[in-house]
Amino acid sequence: MPEASLNIAVIGAGPGGYAAAFLAADLGMQVTLIDPEANPGGVCLYRGCIPSKALLHVAKLIAESQQAKNWGIEFPPPKIDLARLRTWKESVVKKLTGGLGQLSKQRHVEYIQGRAAFTNSTTLRITKADSTEAVLTFDRIILATGSRPAIIPALKLASPRMMDSSGALALEDIPGSLLVVGGGYIGLELGSVYAALGTRVTVVEMLPGLLPGADRDLVLPLHKRLEKMFEAILLNTTVASLKEDGAGIRATFEGGAVQEKEKTFDRVLVSVGRKPNSEIPGLETTQVHVGPRGFIEVNKQLQTADPSIYAIGDVVGEPMLAHKASHEGRIAVEAIAGHKVAFEPNAIPAVVFTDPEVAWCGLTETQAEKENREIKVAKFPWAASGRAITLDRPEGMTKLIFDPQSERVLGVGIVGIGAGELIAEGVLAIEMAALASDIAMTIHPHPTLSETFMESAEVFFGTSTHVFRPKRG
Amino acid sequence: MESVIEFKLPVLGENIEQGDLVRLMIAPGATVSEGQTVMELETDKAVIEVPSSVSGTIKEILVKEGDKIKVGQVVFTADSNGASAAAVAQPPHQVEPSPKRAAAPPAKRPSGEQAAAAAKLQPSSLVQPPSQPLSQSAAPPARAAAAGEFRLQEPRLAFQAAIRAEGKTEEQALPPDQPRPRPAAFSMPAQLGKVAGTEHREAVPAAPHTRRLARELGVDIYEVKGAGPGGRIREDDVKAHAKALLTAVVSAAQTPPRAGHFVEPKLPDFAKWGKIERVSMRGVRRKTAEHLAESWNTIPHVTQHDRADITELEQLRARFAPKAEQAGGKMTVTAIALKVCAAALKVFPQFNASIDMEKTEIVYKQYIHIGVAADTDRGLLVPVIRDVDKKNIVELAVELSQLSQKARDKKITLADMEGGSFTITNLGGIGGTAFTPIVNHPEVAILGLSRSRIEPEWIGGKFEPRLILPLSLSYDHRLIDGADAARFLRWVAEAFEQPFLLSVQG
Repeated sequence: MPEASLNIAVIGAGPGGYAAAFLAADLGMQVTLIDPEANPGGVCLYRGCIPSKALLHVAKLIAESQQAKNWGIEFPPPKIDLARLRTWKESVVKKLTGGLGQLSKQRHVEYIQGRAAFTNSTTLRITKADSTEAVLTFDRIILATGSRPAIIPALKLASPRMMDSSGALALEDIPGSLLVVGGGYIGLELGSVYAALGTRVTVVEMLPGLLPGADRDLVLPLHKRLEKMFEAILLNTTVASLKEDGAGIRATFEGGAVQEKEKTFDRVLVSVGRKPNSEIPGLETTQVHVGPRGFIEVNKQLQTADPSIYAIGDVVGEPMLAHKASHEGRIAVEAIAGHKVAFEPNAIPAVVFTDPEVAWCGLTETQAEKENREIKVAKFPWAASGRAITLDRPEGMTKLIFDPQSERVLGVGIVGIGAGELIAEGVLAIEMAALASDIAMTIHPHPTLSETFMESAEVFFGTSTHVFRPKRG
Repeated sequence: MESVIEFKLPVLGENIEQGDLVRLMIAPGATVSEGQTVMELETDKAVIEVPSSVSGTIKEILVKEGDKIKVGQVVFTADSNGASAAAVAQPPHQVEPSPKRAAAPPAKRPSGEQAAAAAKLQPSSLVQPPSQPLSQSAAPPARAAAAGEFRLQEPRLAFQAAIRAEGKTEEQALPPDQPRPRPAAFSMPAQLGKVAGTEHREAVPAAPHTRRLARELGVDIYEVKGAGPGGRIREDDVKAHAKALLTAVVSAAQTPPRAGHFVEPKLPDFAKWGKIERVSMRGVRRKTAEHLAESWNTIPHVTQHDRADITELEQLRARFAPKAEQAGGKMTVTAIALKVCAAALKVFPQFNASIDMEKTEIVYKQYIHIGVAADTDRGLLVPVIRDVDKKNIVELAVELSQLSQKARDKKITLADMEGGSFTITNLGGIGGTAFTPIVNHPEVAILGLSRSRIEPEWIGGKFEPRLILPLSLSYDHRLIDGADAARFLRWVAEAFEQPFLLSVQG
């Protein structure tokens, strides 16, 4: 059987699932894509990356309109039409998911709105949205079932005031006060949206810093700005209990240097991480292995312990990022097509879309320290960037991490507006094994923030044009 | 999807590429379950039971007894039990409740052009590193799921066959505290669980395109030396590495035609002169032919003859025979010869050696393992007795009896016949006064024993009837000089005559 005529199913149509399905179709396979939504997109498009970015764009506009006062332009406080904002956000989602639906049709991908259950390693019982059932057999099945917001049992409270990320994105109202449990990227992004809309936001983080895992020097400028935007950032603090009282939800805090041990909020957003959706009905009829943390175990070809089943994206492990899932999806399909491929990236970028944005890829300083690994770090402060000054946002910083012997770039970290866009160059540099000299000798356009990448490499040699920091020793 | 599965001959052990099917234990229509022995295969020198890796009802058997079967060859096809219920033997994409699907089948897209493009994308497997473990290789495309299942089982089958060849069961081979390989033994590389993509070895200084090229060529990118700045690995570095690997493989394949494999002169048409029958040269016979031709073509042979007076020894042998019998062995001349030769090999270490012409080195063995040629109905087999110098004659007699029995019962395993450093062959049981045995390459000497008989010996001015054992020592003249051979054989003869010598010098 030539692989062109392979018959494959993809369960879950998020960025991992649809990328896999589309590539499989492009390679000539017969593809069935199964998802509960009307169109492909998954959490990312329906209740994640995309709607949150639409709202963050609005938040940034509001912030800039206020900042404009410093430049001699004053706007009255914004009038917020929540219904229209919602409609716009939903139109963005619709446009993108509809587009994906179109792309599925053009590729002759059989899109089934429904839920799938295994009856054996190659057979699925699919309950469609219209309640009809279908039993289909496939040569290969790709699991791309994603993840869902994690729940802390102690904080489980049946109240309409409680939200997870999906609830927060639904944007039912603009609460007067909001407690965000968890200082990770989801909590900070959504907290920023509500803060910009006028909500008094309190963030509680169990660990001593926001965005655990990111280098502290990258988080600092964001922390400073959020301190002004948010009502409070409570570190080293946990929420002991949540109780509904007449006026809202009463939260009790523990630990940290919290003065008020109790406080009432109009709404609570719990964003303490995500859990893999590995509880797929009938999975026990296959040989698929689920690890202790609920991730499906796969090899570098994304093949599970069941040779006919592959798994990609959030359900196979961290980082739970759409772009990692898409790449894995393509690798899985290429592996199925018989190509010799493996999921072995040198760098996976992470971006926090707050204002300023924080982005990093490859080796972090924190990780190098943990591994006791010798590195050289070169930082370029945006205060020396012409472009950052024109934008009145000089708090940013670009940082390159080098191997001291080969002078190869191993990691990149950026904080500042547009860091999410800038990081891509860092990923490319790492994947191409660029040396400090390669980056320093590549002409970057002036005046742009991208120059900070080039100048960081110049800092490495102690010869940055805009930073006087001669090499020591 | 059809639920027909194929059972292919799995890898049975190192260097075993094929075997002769001596016994088939299945028939069409019968059910077979995983782990069930389906046939006996005679490989070079051992008979191996081959277990099935699939379960189901046998549909068609594609081999017959007497066939030579190669690793990977399909042995039989079967209807898998598991899939039969679920798939209900329906064609793919059959939707039960919804007729819509059947009405509008997905358009057939792969045009000729696309198919060609897809074919072009196929990786050309130039060099497959031999070390690549089976379970990690990317899934071969387009195999029925059940066949994929089989692939997963392959390493385990190889393991089973290998330990079987050593005469062990899985339980014996694995220490008790080690987990048994589960049926679906899946070699899971370090899981992606933590942070996908960072669990593996550290980032390699090569662009994604270069890394993929390496993978396609079967080159481990981590073994490639990058000639670019900062050790960056370029496409050319990968190609050069692959080329070097290929050259190594090719030159290994082209090393001077191995002795024993040189082209035989063409045979005449025997049928011209009368009726003939051609019989396939199977298992032991074929291996013997190859091996002895190789020995003969490699080793410049010389045979030295001598005689040992074993009159006294025979009396001792008769006296101690019951002791050996009690222990379950037979005090034969061969058993005694083992002890004598072990002692002689210690005195003359160049007889317990091998020649490495490639490295122009002599390999002296610090152990004494002696093979004893056994005549069986399957042909010549040479079980090896280990550490002969550390065992007494009774122990040797017992072990020899057991091994010979094992050889005759076809229970002997490959491991029982490996690692010899010297060989003894005794034709005395049949007769003869002398012969010229062929050295068992890569050993360098072999001692032949013929029938001992009473002969008149001139002792003390008169003829006396003495029991004389004829000895024939063939040796590799590249390593052993004639004088040394004469000395060695004399030493052996004297040890037979005066067993006390064993205690003094041996």
